[in-house]
Amino acid sequence: MHKRLMICIAATLLSAFILLQGCSSTGGTSKQSDRNQGPGIDYDALQKKALAFTPAIGTPGGNLIMSTTSDPKSFNPITSTETSTSEFTQYIFEGLVRSNGITLLPEPNLATSWDVSSDGLSWTFHLRPGVVWSDSVPFSAYDVEFTFNDLIYNTAINPNSSRDIFMIDDKKIAVTVKDSLTVTFTLPFPYAPFLRAMTQEILPKHALSQFVKKGTFSTELSIKTKPEQIVGNGPYLLESYLSSQKVVFKKNPRYWKTDREGNRLPYIDRIVYTIVADQNAELLKFKKGEIDYLSAKGEDYPGLKRDEASGLYTVYRLGPSTGSNFLFFNLNAGRDSAGKPYVNPVKASWFNNVNFRRAVAYSLDKQNMINIVMNGLGYPQWSPMTPAEGYFFNNSVTEYPYDVKKARELLAKEGFRDSNNDSILEDPKGNPVDFTFVSNSGNNVRMKIAEIIRKDLEELGFRVHFQLLEFNSLIQKIDNPPFEWDAVLLGLTGGVEPHFGKNVWHSTGSLHMWYPRQKTPATPWEATIDSLFDVGVKELDNEKRKAIYDRWQQIASDELPLIYTVLQERISCINNRIGNLNPSLNGGLLHNLEYLYIKGN
Amino acid sequence: MRFSNRALDKFLKHPLAVAGSIVLIVLYTLMLFAEIIAPYSLDNGLRELSYQPPSRIHFVHNGRFSPRPFVYRYSFTFNDFFERAFVEDRSTPYHLSFLVKGDPVKLWGIIPVRHHLFGIPQSEGECRMYLLGADAVGRDLLSRILYGSRVSLTIGFFGVAITAILGFAVGGLSGYFGGRTDWFLMRFAECFMLVPGFFLMLALRSAFPIELSSTEIYLLIVVILSFIGWAGFARVIRGMALSIGKRDFVTAARALGASHARIVFVHILPQTLSYAIVSITLSIPGYILGESTLSFIGLGIQDPQASWGNLLGVAMNIADIQYHPWILLPGVFIFLAVMAFNFVGDGLRDALDPNR
Amino acid sequence: MRDEIIRRALISIPQLLLMSFITFLFIDLAPGDILAKYRFDPRISRKTVEQIEKKYQFDKPIVVQYVHWLGRLAKLDLGYSFSREAPVTNVIAERLLNTFLLSFLSILFTWLIAIPLGIYAAVHQYSWGDRIMSLISYIGMSLPSFFLALLVMYLVFQCRSVPLIGAIPIGGMMSSGYEQLPFFAKIIDRAAHLIIPVVVLTIGALAGLQRIARGNMLEELRKQYITTARAKGLPENRVIYKHALRNAINPLITLFGFSFSELLSGAALLEIIINWPGLGSLMLAAVRSQDTFLVMGSMLMGGIMLIIGNLIADLLLVLVDPRVRKA
Repeated sequence: MHKRLMICIAATLLSAFILLQGCSSTGGTSKQSDRNQGPGIDYDALQKKALAFTPAIGTPGGNLIMSTTSDPKSFNPITSTETSTSEFTQYIFEGLVRSNGITLLPEPNLATSWDVSSDGLSWTFHLRPGVVWSDSVPFSAYDVEFTFNDLIYNTAINPNSSRDIFMIDDKKIAVTVKDSLTVTFTLPFPYAPFLRAMTQEILPKHALSQFVKKGTFSTELSIKTKPEQIVGNGPYLLESYLSSQKVVFKKNPRYWKTDREGNRLPYIDRIVYTIVADQNAELLKFKKGEIDYLSAKGEDYPGLKRDEASGLYTVYRLGPSTGSNFLFFNLNAGRDSAGKPYVNPVKASWFNNVNFRRAVAYSLDKQNMINIVMNGLGYPQWSPMTPAEGYFFNNSVTEYPYDVKKARELLAKEGFRDSNNDSILEDPKGNPVDFTFVSNSGNNVRMKIAEIIRKDLEELGFRVHFQLLEFNSLIQKIDNPPFEWDAVLLGLTGGVEPHFGKNVWHSTGSLHMWYPRQKTPATPWEATIDSLFDVGVKELDNEKRKAIYDRWQQIASDELPLIYTVLQERISCINNRIGNLNPSLNGGLLHNLEYLYIKGN
Repeated sequence: MRFSNRALDKFLKHPLAVAGSIVLIVLYTLMLFAEIIAPYSLDNGLRELSYQPPSRIHFVHNGRFSPRPFVYRYSFTFNDFFERAFVEDRSTPYHLSFLVKGDPVKLWGIIPVRHHLFGIPQSEGECRMYLLGADAVGRDLLSRILYGSRVSLTIGFFGVAITAILGFAVGGLSGYFGGRTDWFLMRFAECFMLVPGFFLMLALRSAFPIELSSTEIYLLIVVILSFIGWAGFARVIRGMALSIGKRDFVTAARALGASHARIVFVHILPQTLSYAIVSITLSIPGYILGESTLSFIGLGIQDPQASWGNLLGVAMNIADIQYHPWILLPGVFIFLAVMAFNFVGDGLRDALDPNR
Repeated sequence: MRDEIIRRALISIPQLLLMSFITFLFIDLAPGDILAKYRFDPRISRKTVEQIEKKYQFDKPIVVQYVHWLGRLAKLDLGYSFSREAPVTNVIAERLLNTFLLSFLSILFTWLIAIPLGIYAAVHQYSWGDRIMSLISYIGMSLPSFFLALLVMYLVFQCRSVPLIGAIPIGGMMSSGYEQLPFFAKIIDRAAHLIIPVVVLTIGALAGLQRIARGNMLEELRKQYITTARAKGLPENRVIYKHALRNAINPLITLFGFSFSELLSGAALLEIIINWPGLGSLMLAAVRSQDTFLVMGSMLMGGIMLIIGNLIADLLLVLVDPRVRKA
């Protein structure tokens, strides 16, 4: 009896072992490439095709099923600072101008044309006639004036996501109504980002002014508001919201846009957002056809690409995304009320040494970050801007390809050596290089990148104490005295307009993370960047502007206050029943949503 | 308190219980000597070997048979589908040996050791042998599972120790003294059974920040798990103490002037031992699963420390199952350990049960 | 017996409160500022934060805070969820039904399947059927539930071309076009979405219960009165189903109470894995954002559900067992 048992066990173990062996691949000659890179794509061809595209006449009807990982927090584009909100409000509200999905250039939307005075200070917008709100009230210049004077510039409304953009050197823009279809903006100074900023959502005066008067605007357009009461003039309107379940948008029957044969857009009847918190479930639902659109992770790409052959959906690689992840050190030179410097002078001597930072940059193993965290579908980032942000991206900044030897040489030149053979470097004064490295929990990609950076730094000879903090706690720590941190890995979402990153790059900015809110620039290069931003915002000539911001990116890559890491590839997958798709590097798959239609409807 | 040969005989008659015992002995031996048996240290990964499949063991090189098993070096490239295509470099064999010099580690954290049970000796050159494949950052899964067993297999014992102490103390005293004491102690114990385990576990865990050192988390998990489990055990001990307390020898002991403490701890509780042992053995799986659940949802042991739970936690997505299924092996280990404890517990129950 | 049950139910209330106090203590002693998120949010003024502090007595000693919490509890106010920006009661109420549905259905199926299987195994002891079921039971008890959940999801997905199985939806509670469905289709849609979660939960719970049912049945079948019945010449069916089963059920119902706790725990974990919007996933999110009131509220809810479950079990016992009724 026992013998039989033993044989059974032995057999099971043996077969398990053999099974595992079978998992290996075949033999062959090895390729000596340990900086593995996957196949790239031809982005130029993609853009050319996108520009040449003409949409077909679509058939109306059908539902587009999307997914989102969490409930919307608000439908109020003015008071909400959550990025998730704009995904929903973009359907309901529009701006005078919109960003072209392929070229990223501002083009007419609710305004058909505009005149600019020669000094760039006076902009007159001619509004599109015949546009009505969803409750049939005509759209007019009074709505524009209301949005600016009563909402954006209203100091009683907090928080206010747009105010910073429209304050130029702390001065407001004067908004005046000439007639119901003409409105003039008078700028205090030339403001280059102005036209782009006019993608600002315009809200209806007749529906909302009563709440402004009562002082309750901040609680309006919330997730508790009845959908029928949300008045908009965008392609879709909110039909229903079921907590933790879904958000449903239905076609706006009065939307102003038509296709070239005069049919009213959009074609698709409803956009349904299913709320799926679990990414596995989301992926499976997409593959089964229960969801039409998926923004996929690198590790899901192989499985998705293989199954593409079944004909249910298509997978598009759309180049580097716009969200960045960067490492930075505490360069704060301030002191507390007792006169004690915030940053330990020993550590400050390392962090403030630009060659120390450059050595760190050389020590970051970016290709492996891409391979491990994104399954090879990613790109190294060297500059504060990314290719997907378009015109102002500077492609030729200083790069720091992975070279541990070079990093060590740089450090050695600065006097860092391992004098006591404990494999930890000591600075010229004999202090071992020892510091804390923090990132925020809750972001899988960032946590994995942080793990790799930690090991890279340890490889270099630093003693690193790694910690994860909850996001808000981390921001609080970075931004406020006593600035108790050494090195941090964080990220920001990007944008097309470099000036909107002023808060990060100007030395007075609150998001100037390595040393916020300086009274005077702490270093010559920070002073240079300050002046670049000060001049750049007023420079109306695009080429001159580009030169200015190119220089900023160059300085950023030389001085490395933020050491950028890697960017994810944007992988967008969509069900093949959607017609009129025009994949674009800058706009993704849904930039021409109102032209999309369900085939075979 | 003497376990007769009869009990042992009865136990050995159960093939499942015997199998379970063998499995446990193997697992615990592996756990005990993890540092020596694991070819690599806990966090020694080679990034270029990210998700390497299990290293194939060869015996034939260039057509010639070699009695010493060997492996080839692996490398990968991304194919058009961004799948990792691993190939072996068939030019150089790297032979396996026993008692090889490898990563310097400290057995039980104290004794420095440089030799590992098996591996590729340095004389052969630089090549990794990943018998169970590699994880995302190119670390040997086998080594991590072995180190992970330290947490997963010991947490049960510490947790159960606390549960036993609390259960014996409260249950024994409650059952012996009866009356008011009994009533209050039992109502108190019941409190802990009123909230479903998972909810209580989460609530207690929320009291502490997400990020703690690994030792702190280990102790925390032990405390939380025993918090949940002790009441049930105490209740049964109390029931047994109640009936045992009525027996003659207890009355006799009391008449002879023995102190209450002595009666409870020396006379009554030992009578509950056979039940206690069975119950404890059968509750250890609960601790193993509890720890793995906590680590799985990210509230337990954190990377780079390993526990079977957190090793499994990173594997819980479709891409992993499809492309690197070996990542799920820690789940098999959890499964084996839990099954083994269940078998052994059942066997013990049958062996020690006077009725059968 | 009835008095005993009522007494037990009433005692549960202070017991639950004691438990909540202990937990409250733990959470409150914890380092970390629950209002940190608000303090450093530039959109929220200092005054607002101070108002919140005053309202929830965060500045007062623990016992006072707890007493206030109790006071609010009496008014059925469970506090404010800072992470979801809504009263806790509202947040929980939305989800309570979902968890209940899941647990209830799982218990139902577990029992409907486990007991007959247990009886079969006991009646045909040591047969192949018994052995296989035994093995499956062991496997079911030993497999971590999250493992099982993912396995089932993946299997259903792999079989998506198979007619019936392929139609089983993965994750979520209803389809995206639910609103447009006619009434009966709605019910079917809901039911279809329940298949995977209920199956996973049932498999997990089935194993243990089946073994216990088998064990109890075996015990009964060994008893004197069974031998007597057989000797009297009663048909075997009668012996098993009319006599032995009746008595074997009794301890099972007692165990019902214990298994209910396990099942609620299992349901909570499963919700997290398959993203079922219930109490479990809510509580995990609450823990992650260190939202004290929501954590306490969810825990309390879990406790209450358990108490109700136990109560039902006791009532069932009274119904089924005449001995209990008489006492």
